[in-house]
Amino acid sequence: MKEVPLKIEHDGKWIVVKAGVGEDRISFPAPVEKEVLFKSVFDLEEKKNVLIISAKGTPDSILRIASVEKVLIILKRLILANCNAYRLMAYFMSPAIRGGVLSKDAQWEKGSIVVVKTGIWFVSATKQISVPLLDVAAIDLTKRDVQGKQTDVVRIDHVDAGEVVSSLVLCPLSTLQVLVNFLKDTTKGMDMKGNELDAVAQQVAMLIYSGMDSHAIENMLNIPHKQLDEIYDRIIKLEIAEVITIRREVQLTTKGVRYISDATKTQTN
Amino acid sequence: MGTILIVDDTLFMRTLLKNILFSGGHTIAGEAANGEEAVAKYKELKPDLVTMDVVMPKVNGIEALKAIKQLDPGARVIMCTAVGQEQMVKLAIKTGAKGYIVKPFQAPKVLEEVKNVLAS
Repeated sequence: MKEVPLKIEHDGKWIVVKAGVGEDRISFPAPVEKEVLFKSVFDLEEKKNVLIISAKGTPDSILRIASVEKVLIILKRLILANCNAYRLMAYFMSPAIRGGVLSKDAQWEKGSIVVVKTGIWFVSATKQISVPLLDVAAIDLTKRDVQGKQTDVVRIDHVDAGEVVSSLVLCPLSTLQVLVNFLKDTTKGMDMKGNELDAVAQQVAMLIYSGMDSHAIENMLNIPHKQLDEIYDRIIKLEIAEVITIRREVQLTTKGVRYISDATKTQTN
Repeated sequence: MGTILIVDDTLFMRTLLKNILFSGGHTIAGEAANGEEAVAKYKELKPDLVTMDVVMPKVNGIEALKAIKQLDPGARVIMCTAVGQEQMVKLAIKTGAKGYIVKPFQAPKVLEEVKNVLAS
């Protein structure tokens, strides 16, 4: 076992320990005194350089670990290679499209797709990309030109820092189908029938997606504020949009008009 | 910042692109609703950049791109198409497109792509 310095959350506080990392386990000395076999790990999340490891046990344990990138990369590699997850060897391209723009330096990488309880990991010799299932916006079995041939691939869209990122997975068709079914099943709570919105509301949704604000949407679709507000109510109720800020429109009171009139007089005199 | 010709057969997409590009400080040189109109407008307006829809009536985006490249080999054209039609990328790039955006797109990324292509 190799000793690596890292921070771990223990009793609500972050403490520095020298953890022992082996090929199949990680162990923490006192005061944590815990050993986790990688094969017992059923979930791995990464949030801002903090790894959240969920492992089976009595009771299940959730470990929050922070360390330098080099240490986290080694830990992720070991955990993802050994944990209790749906795993398949595949070629992937991530990100292939970001915000609707094709990534020019994107290329197919040989590696594996690891699906844990709350996310999908794209793992290759140089990359470990996590896509939380809650952020998955679309899953499609589609075709792409790969070395001149139309080939079946899975396209996974997810939202990352407000941008829609598309990743592509390439492996035998039967495996792709299993992956699609699995992911669709896992994220089915987010599906919609497709007839919930009328044409104008769909256009509003598209404009929001493109980053337009209320003022721009009203002008572009030539609709009054009240109609847009009603559409907002509908899409918020459908949970496809959320309020991020409330702006106010005001008009001057008599006192305000007087203030401006006086100020103008002062300027012109 | 540059002058841009927007080519798309739907008014909605043209309006959206116009808003995005205008918000990024660009000047909208003009709009065209099909490939034929796009080539004519390109000749007339000589824009710094064209955003070109791929699937359009009369002359499609790829054909219009070819015609524009014949007129002006240095023309900067960003192709724009819907999800699932990305197989057109190779053909478009081969024909001389400088960039490619997929609908639906997000404003900051479109502006970034436009900036990159204008700088090329």
